[in-house]
Amino acid sequence: MPVVSVPTILPALPEILTVCSAMALLMLGVFRGEGSTRLVSWLAVLALVLVLAVALARGGDRQIGLNGMFITDGFALFMKVLVLIGSAVSIVMAMAYNERERIARFEFPVLVLLATTGMLMMISANDLISLYIGLELQSLALYVVAAFKRDSAQSTEAGLKYFVLGALSSGMLLYGCSLVYGFAGTTNFAGLAAMFAEGNASIGLIIGIVFVSVGLAFKVSAVPFHMWTPDVYEGAPTPVTAFFSVAPKIAAMALFIRFLVEPFGALTAEWRQIIWFISVASMLLGAFAAINQRNIKRLMAYSSIGHVGYALIGLAAGTETGIQGVLIYMAIYLFMNLGTFTVILCMRRDGRMVEAIDDLSGLAKTQPALALALGIFMFSMAGIPPLAGFFSKVWVFLAAIHAGLYVLAVIGVVTSVVGAFYYIRIVKLMYFDEAKGVFDRPIGAEMQAILVVSSVVIMLFFVIPGPLLTSAELAAAALFPG
Amino acid sequence: MLAIIAVFLPLAAAILAGLFGRQIGDRGAQLVTCGALCASAVLSVFVFYDVAVLGHGRIIDLFTWIDTGELQVRWALRLDTLSAVMLLVVTLVSAMVHIYSVGYMAHDSSIPRFMAYLSFFTFFMLMLVTSDNFVQLFFGWEGVGLCSYLLVGFWYDRPTANAAAIKAFVVNRVGDFGFSLGIFAVFLIFGTLQFDPVFAGAADMAGNTINFLGWQVDALTVTCILLFIGAMGKSAQLGLHTWLPDAMEGPTPVSALIHAATMVTAGVFMVARLSPLFEYAPTALAVVVVIGGTTAMFAATIGMAQNDIKRVIAYSTCSQLGYMFFAAGVSAYSAAIFHLMTHAFFKALLFLGAGSVIHAMSGEQDMRKMGGIWRRVPCTYAVMWIGSLALAGIPYFSGYFSKDTIIEAAWAAGTGVGTYAYWLGVFAAFITAFYSWRLLIMTFHGSPRADHEVMHHVHESPGVMLIPLFVLAAGAVFAGAIGYEAFVGEGRAAFWRDSILVLADHDSLGRAHEGVPEIVSLLPLIAAVAGIATAYVFYMLRPALPDLVTQRIHALYLLVLNKYYFDELYDRLLVRPAMALGFGLWKQGDGATIDGLGPDGLSAVTRDLSVRASRLQTGYLYHYAFAILIGVVILVSWYLVRVVG
Amino acid sequence: MIIQAVCFYVFAAVAVASGVMVISARNPVHSVLFLILAFFNAAALFVLLGAEFLAMILVIVYVGAVAVLFLFVVMMLDINFVELRHGFLQYLPIGALIGFILFAELVLVIGYWALAPNIASVLAAPLPATAQVTNTQALGDLLYTRYIYAFQASGIVLLIAMIGAIVLTLRARAGVRRQDSSAQVYRPRAASVEIVKIEVGKGV
Repeated sequence: MPVVSVPTILPALPEILTVCSAMALLMLGVFRGEGSTRLVSWLAVLALVLVLAVALARGGDRQIGLNGMFITDGFALFMKVLVLIGSAVSIVMAMAYNERERIARFEFPVLVLLATTGMLMMISANDLISLYIGLELQSLALYVVAAFKRDSAQSTEAGLKYFVLGALSSGMLLYGCSLVYGFAGTTNFAGLAAMFAEGNASIGLIIGIVFVSVGLAFKVSAVPFHMWTPDVYEGAPTPVTAFFSVAPKIAAMALFIRFLVEPFGALTAEWRQIIWFISVASMLLGAFAAINQRNIKRLMAYSSIGHVGYALIGLAAGTETGIQGVLIYMAIYLFMNLGTFTVILCMRRDGRMVEAIDDLSGLAKTQPALALALGIFMFSMAGIPPLAGFFSKVWVFLAAIHAGLYVLAVIGVVTSVVGAFYYIRIVKLMYFDEAKGVFDRPIGAEMQAILVVSSVVIMLFFVIPGPLLTSAELAAAALFPG
Repeated sequence: MLAIIAVFLPLAAAILAGLFGRQIGDRGAQLVTCGALCASAVLSVFVFYDVAVLGHGRIIDLFTWIDTGELQVRWALRLDTLSAVMLLVVTLVSAMVHIYSVGYMAHDSSIPRFMAYLSFFTFFMLMLVTSDNFVQLFFGWEGVGLCSYLLVGFWYDRPTANAAAIKAFVVNRVGDFGFSLGIFAVFLIFGTLQFDPVFAGAADMAGNTINFLGWQVDALTVTCILLFIGAMGKSAQLGLHTWLPDAMEGPTPVSALIHAATMVTAGVFMVARLSPLFEYAPTALAVVVVIGGTTAMFAATIGMAQNDIKRVIAYSTCSQLGYMFFAAGVSAYSAAIFHLMTHAFFKALLFLGAGSVIHAMSGEQDMRKMGGIWRRVPCTYAVMWIGSLALAGIPYFSGYFSKDTIIEAAWAAGTGVGTYAYWLGVFAAFITAFYSWRLLIMTFHGSPRADHEVMHHVHESPGVMLIPLFVLAAGAVFAGAIGYEAFVGEGRAAFWRDSILVLADHDSLGRAHEGVPEIVSLLPLIAAVAGIATAYVFYMLRPALPDLVTQRIHALYLLVLNKYYFDELYDRLLVRPAMALGFGLWKQGDGATIDGLGPDGLSAVTRDLSVRASRLQTGYLYHYAFAILIGVVILVSWYLVRVVG
Repeated sequence: MIIQAVCFYVFAAVAVASGVMVISARNPVHSVLFLILAFFNAAALFVLLGAEFLAMILVIVYVGAVAVLFLFVVMMLDINFVELRHGFLQYLPIGALIGFILFAELVLVIGYWALAPNIASVLAAPLPATAQVTNTQALGDLLYTRYIYAFQASGIVLLIAMIGAIVLTLRARAGVRRQDSSAQVYRPRAASVEIVKIEVGKGV
């Protein structure tokens, strides 16, 4: 009974490559010692690029492997590309930082690679079991990197908080899985989809979905399951925060979408209410709580909560255009956040990181290029046309309106007005206030490259929106066969 | 092609002088604008000959302006006899004023700006007269309003000039509001704003009603009255006239060009242009007659008592505009345009002559401080005589032909309002002659009342100012005699062709030609001669008489001197309540209520919410765990309540 | 059957009761001991289900390793648990309320228990009948074939846990003398022993 054969493994080739390179780099690091950190980091980036190439080469055909527990399709490909970009850039961003903060250890890229493996598995999960394992694989690695600056009480606290609350949410998720299994008798998404094709759900199953959704909402830090986010974002080392704000969010969002749309697509009317609630709550909290923040990393935490709220609008719509909107949103969000965190990483004065928003005062006079880049990102996050952030918002709002979710769209617009306040306040600080001092220079060639690429993407999206829009359309279509 | 160049040359000159005044210098700006305007005037002569005489009327399509849904508006130049006449008058007077300004404004510090404004104004005026649709008309209308504002307030360091400019603008806004409502009504009724389809459809629309403010009213009547309100504002008719005398704060060439010859006549032009609409709205025509006739009389009486030389002429303008309106009101549109043309010449002449006097008197405008200078400024004196003779309607001067035609037409109309206008017109003619000679005598004759210093400097104006005066004087003398036959005489139908529509039973001019009683056509002349004689008696022979009279009818005198207290009335009724309302709305409404509840209040609430929201973040792990659990409970309860409940 | 039912309820009740005691006992050592008791009862429940392999694994891994490790940690780290509990009572009412509501709701959900109608068709049938193969073999069959993906991934999860523990705790302390066994083994004789010939009658 050759249950495991090459054809069933092949769909998981990117994951296998990632995990193998992680282990190989682990061995390399162990034997070469601490001095090999830079080498291991670059090799890890190389590995991620390689995986990206392999994933793209394999294409977005729908393939199911590993006894139905693993799926790869256009949707998975789209999300994997985003996650891989996010992870690779995060490793690049972290190198110089870790060296300066004297936490440069080769385990960091290895852990990021392993977390990325988990994310890829999440994106390709086609079974409640693979969902959970992928999630845990990712989370465990993240707990460790959150506490990576182990001599800093803040970082340790961040890791511990994330760990404890993550365990709680995992418990919820597992409990939900058990409820679903208990009512349906199968954990496979395809089996679940077949069983509930007519939208005949018992309350037990719905509660099961609620619990799983809570676990996933925790991972995307949607309100009210977001409480870890500001503390962890503030406490974790900045490159780790950057990583947290993109790759795991995208992966968890992908999982969220797949979990709700694939097996329970017929129950959209039911689960939409969960998403509606957490989306509204996230948008409101993201907009209002951020205003009072003084620390830029905390601000970004609330900003990401808000953004998740907007992205969830598309999921709440539950339609193909809605999902397309989420995909576009996450893609643009990736670039905005990577760019912003690159600027935050450059906020270094006399060799020490500064994180207060006020420290950005007068940046336009001292470092105009940096200020311009951050200005672009902030305007984009605020959703000012013609920057990319505007279009991502428009897309999800339109999807919501088409799905008849007018209240959601209106709240979205209102909160983005409130949100614009704190984004634009940063621009005001940079351009109209007195300078407080100069940040250390040079910022490094790799940082400059990230800044240039991400700001160009944000600025010129409206010129060439085609590639992203069509690939997102294809990806969304993969979830809605027929 | 010639017409396009004629219309756009002033714009090019304005841009050149306005934006590059620093580069080309004062002299350059003067050369550019004067040259452009003269060229424009010459071209206009050709256009006039081609269009009006040879009858090659046409519409030159430039490009599409607005194209949204049902509304399609194009830039086009409508060339027919009416616009050709206006084109000629505007460019000619404007060219003269430009040249005159070279001398008059020689000592000013911002010559390029002034010349640019003048040219810019001319462009808008040409845009107005050549418009082919209501929107373009409105564009020119607002454009000349803007330039008028800029030019009245040209000496912006004078508070009175600023106030006058604002007043002119605001009062015109009232009229423009009516005008825009009228345009909306046209679009509502006809579904288009192009002249041709509107005119073609007017006959079918006669008698239709629309809902206006809850009443069913005659569609064309209300439309025409609304449009006429716009004309009242621009042409300073009774009620909306108060801005015109104040506008004399502007430089005198501006008064001559804008507030005598061209812009203020835009209202008359508009009524003539829209004659196909007005003809089917007899009620509106009656309103036009009453307003016009009353204004002619009313403004003339004020003119009797004014002492500022320019204000006298300003009220005179107001009064003459009244003539034009009641001419239009009795369907003698061609007579109105005829008077518009002759008036443009002699009134511009009077203004420029007055400017010359003011120039000679070192800026003095009060006639009580003039006198006894006629030997020192012979040319100015002569042209002022010519202008006054034309204004008073003395035979063979241009005013005689146009004004008498109007008065006769009013009589010949045979309607009640026509007769009303006739008598007022005759009486106004008497007063017009009276104040014209009062002005002449007080300014030039008698013993000098200015101080020695000023008298010492009295001098004739330079040639650059005199030449325009002579050109205009020639116009004031001959324009009437030359134009009479074509404009209002037997040749009028062949001349105007279809640019003016007069229904057969409205043809007051035709009836006037068929013959009115001899006394009717002689009466205006008699009144004018009587007015001149009275003025001589009062101011030349018996200088004590005016004081005696004013003391005897002191109340009446005060009423007239204070312009019937219109400004005070408006101040009490409108300006102060509006200021109070505005102040209240600002402080209480906007500051306390809207800002308080709106921006400020909202931002305060937002800040408050923000503080609360960030206070949720305690940092305690078990609080966070609780939050998650509470979230779970909320969601689970929601579904249970929905299913069970 | 009666005996089985009685056993089930006894073991289940003791398991829940000891679970409550784990979080409410004042002495942390007692907590760990109650945890061990709960594990034992859970193992007994597995035995009742006929899953003796799981039962034994539970005892060996959780009781034998995890719980004992806990015990060591609790005893070696002098943590003031009383202080940690500070504020516990303060939040007890609301905590109890939330817990009670959730509990009531879950009971309600159980009350509305309705299996999916076509559940039988998708239920994963045990591969071979339990009578034919042993528990261990059956599990192994499944784990290494059908669930190989999850199994391997779990291995990686454990690897991450290991790396994480090392990253977060291992410190290279200066001045610590380590035993280097290979150096010891490969030390040449010459480096450690010096043979000195001492002439007779002379001291060293």
